[in-house]
Amino acid sequence: MSAPGLSLIARPRSVLPGFRLSMGFTLFYLASLVLIPLMALVLRPFELSFEDLWTAVTATRTLGALRLSFGTALAAALIDSVFGLIIAWVLVRYCFFGKGLLDALIDLPFALPTAVAGIALSTLYAPNGWIGAVFMEYGIRIAYTPWGVLVAMTFIALPFTVRTIQPVMAELRGDAEEAAATLGATRFQILSRVVLPALLPAILTGIALAFARAAGEYGSIIFIAGNLPNISEIAPLLIVIKLEQYDYAGAAAIGAMMLLASFIMLLALNALQSWASKRR
Amino acid sequence: MARSFFNGRSGSRRRSFRSPTEDSAALKLTLSAIAIAFVGVFLVLPLLVVFTEAFAGGWGHVWTTITAPDSLAAIKLSLTAAAIAVPLNTVFGIAAAWAIAKFAFPGKTFLVTLIDLPFSVSPVVAGLIYVLVFGMQGWLGPTLAGYDIRVLFALPGIVLATIFVTFPFVARELIPLMVDQGRDEEEAAVSLGANGFQTFLRVTLPNIKWGLLYGILLCNARALGEFGAVSVLSGHIRGETNTMPLHVQLLYENYDYVGAFAIAAILAMLALLTLAVKSFLEWRFADELAASHRH
Amino acid sequence: MSLVIDAITKKYGRFPALNGAGFTAPDGAFVALLGPSGSGKTTLLRILGGLEAPDSGTVRFADLNWLDMPARERRAGFVFQQYALFRHMTVAKNIAFGLEVRPRSERPARADIARRVEELLELVQLQDLGKRYPSQLSGGQRQRVALARALAIEPRMLLLDEPFGALDAKVRKELREWLRHIHDKAGVTSVFVTHDQEEAFAMADLVAVMNKGRIEQVGTPADVRREPKTAFVSDFLSN
Repeated sequence: MSAPGLSLIARPRSVLPGFRLSMGFTLFYLASLVLIPLMALVLRPFELSFEDLWTAVTATRTLGALRLSFGTALAAALIDSVFGLIIAWVLVRYCFFGKGLLDALIDLPFALPTAVAGIALSTLYAPNGWIGAVFMEYGIRIAYTPWGVLVAMTFIALPFTVRTIQPVMAELRGDAEEAAATLGATRFQILSRVVLPALLPAILTGIALAFARAAGEYGSIIFIAGNLPNISEIAPLLIVIKLEQYDYAGAAAIGAMMLLASFIMLLALNALQSWASKRR
Repeated sequence: MARSFFNGRSGSRRRSFRSPTEDSAALKLTLSAIAIAFVGVFLVLPLLVVFTEAFAGGWGHVWTTITAPDSLAAIKLSLTAAAIAVPLNTVFGIAAAWAIAKFAFPGKTFLVTLIDLPFSVSPVVAGLIYVLVFGMQGWLGPTLAGYDIRVLFALPGIVLATIFVTFPFVARELIPLMVDQGRDEEEAAVSLGANGFQTFLRVTLPNIKWGLLYGILLCNARALGEFGAVSVLSGHIRGETNTMPLHVQLLYENYDYVGAFAIAAILAMLALLTLAVKSFLEWRFADELAASHRH
Repeated sequence: MSLVIDAITKKYGRFPALNGAGFTAPDGAFVALLGPSGSGKTTLLRILGGLEAPDSGTVRFADLNWLDMPARERRAGFVFQQYALFRHMTVAKNIAFGLEVRPRSERPARADIARRVEELLELVQLQDLGKRYPSQLSGGQRQRVALARALAIEPRMLLLDEPFGALDAKVRKELREWLRHIHDKAGVTSVFVTHDQEEAFAMADLVAVMNKGRIEQVGTPADVRREPKTAFVSDFLSN
């Protein structure tokens, strides 16, 4: 017995109550907090004519800032991926006194306010700082140069690589390594042919996350950076400067570029995740 | 039979056996040393610097700095912003997690990605978007000014920026946790006659309490420590619109290093406390925390 | 040349996993280690495979001091209960692994490796699945790949740790007959761990009944069934 009208009656999504309330609030919150302001960012650059927009984006100073932010972020992400892999390896596979402390410390850059990190790093790597002084002996300046930016980015992004690789490594089963051994592989072959390839998706994801965080970082970098246009000026700082000059459209243009980069990164990450899940 | 000849060597055999899944002692030592050295230099030293610089002038100087009117104002402002942002974001987190974990609907992935957005956006960009909406050259700026409502360079702006950068924390903690826990218990409660709120309070909440606490903790720590987004919106008016991190910057740029590090030390202590509680929660309640821990 | 295992003991902390276990088997035999969980059968198998070392005892096989050799030199093919396939490699690459990791001087040419992989795929009846990934295969297929991978190195000994434990009853039965057939063709000494006596009796030439780290009885299935030597054995078989 099928009455045509019955099909028009919506079936409840679930027995549980509160869907409309929770969903409604969630959407309202997100829309007012995120979507609408983001629209402003996306639309603002278009107040300028295309020519002006192009000039703003390709100005030497802008390109220099973008190059510094993204280039250094990539370098920092790569450094952090190597050391992050080692740190995750040690945390997951070895047992020693104080390992718990080491594990907890990894989250420090994540928990520490960026301004605190900023002044601490700046003091540490300044020419008279504990580490900076050592490098000064060899004529290498770290603070107030692009090297300072690299150091700060390496600091800030480390948790992203370690915490991405760590759970994947912890889940790896030992029997694949045992199987490889019974098949005749040396320890080096086991590591290079069985273990590392299995970790590759996590390593790449970690690099992407670290890169995204480092490229957008502000507080921990501006104190150590030197902030000289075209040399040690990061993109977020340029945005702030343009805002102070009331060049809203220019600031929005750079902001939109950074947002675009974040968006591409998110897409890349999603693609990575689905590639990784296909192999599992 | 074959016993006598080989028995004597079994002891040495045991000593030289290494399981195929174990690294050589040399490798273990090297990697451990590298890990400890890297963490020591990059993470621990900056932390030490904060405290040694703060107390370089002795306890007295630290106390004077912290109790100076501008510092107290900064502390008060930070706490106010957090006191508004954290509860709001907690409610949001619970609502979003409830909707996502207990119901099926299209566009879930998009929603989750949207919630993750503040993590992938530069804090300066986060501040920028609100400037574009509420600034004098922004969409709503002039209108609101007509009603004498200032968003930028005032508390509302700071609170907005704080809300934006911290709203994912509670949600991200609760969503995997609640997804993992499923719907069974709530459905049972409803079939027994409980309404929505009763179900949530009596069934869901006890199950998520540690994850919730953890999320609130992270949310709070970030709210007090946020710099970039708040910096863009605050106007840096000394004694009025400077949060603690901004005040740190002010003192540092005015060469009051001990002062800057004194305030920084407070924030660092808070960070360490957060880490300690996090470790404790993870140790005691491992399975009740989020199913997957991603930053 | 026979497999001679003598007085193997192994303790984990205070817990004696193996307590003087040993038996002898002729070359090419299919031996089942049968017993309840905790009887030490998997531990004994892993010791044979080089994945663990005993505290004392000896093993001689093919004129070699078996226990003195590290796992990678023994050429003891090991088949795990959870397959332990390399998930990031195709089926073909999995099977070829043992040949590709050989030192240059012993490594066969690429074409030879490919040929051998093809032969093995045919042997385990997975001819067209070489390019698939393990995640795209069923449990039974994965276990066949694991077996092909172990056979690729022309093992001196084949060790199987409850290889059908993770599969459903029907698949288990099919694979049982098929494994016995493969064993007969390859003629390799095999040691097979199981807690399922039906399985043990259907497949093995020799059954070793284990309990609490000791071997209670070794014999052909018929002998063991007819004349259980200890109370444990007769109890275990009557269930």
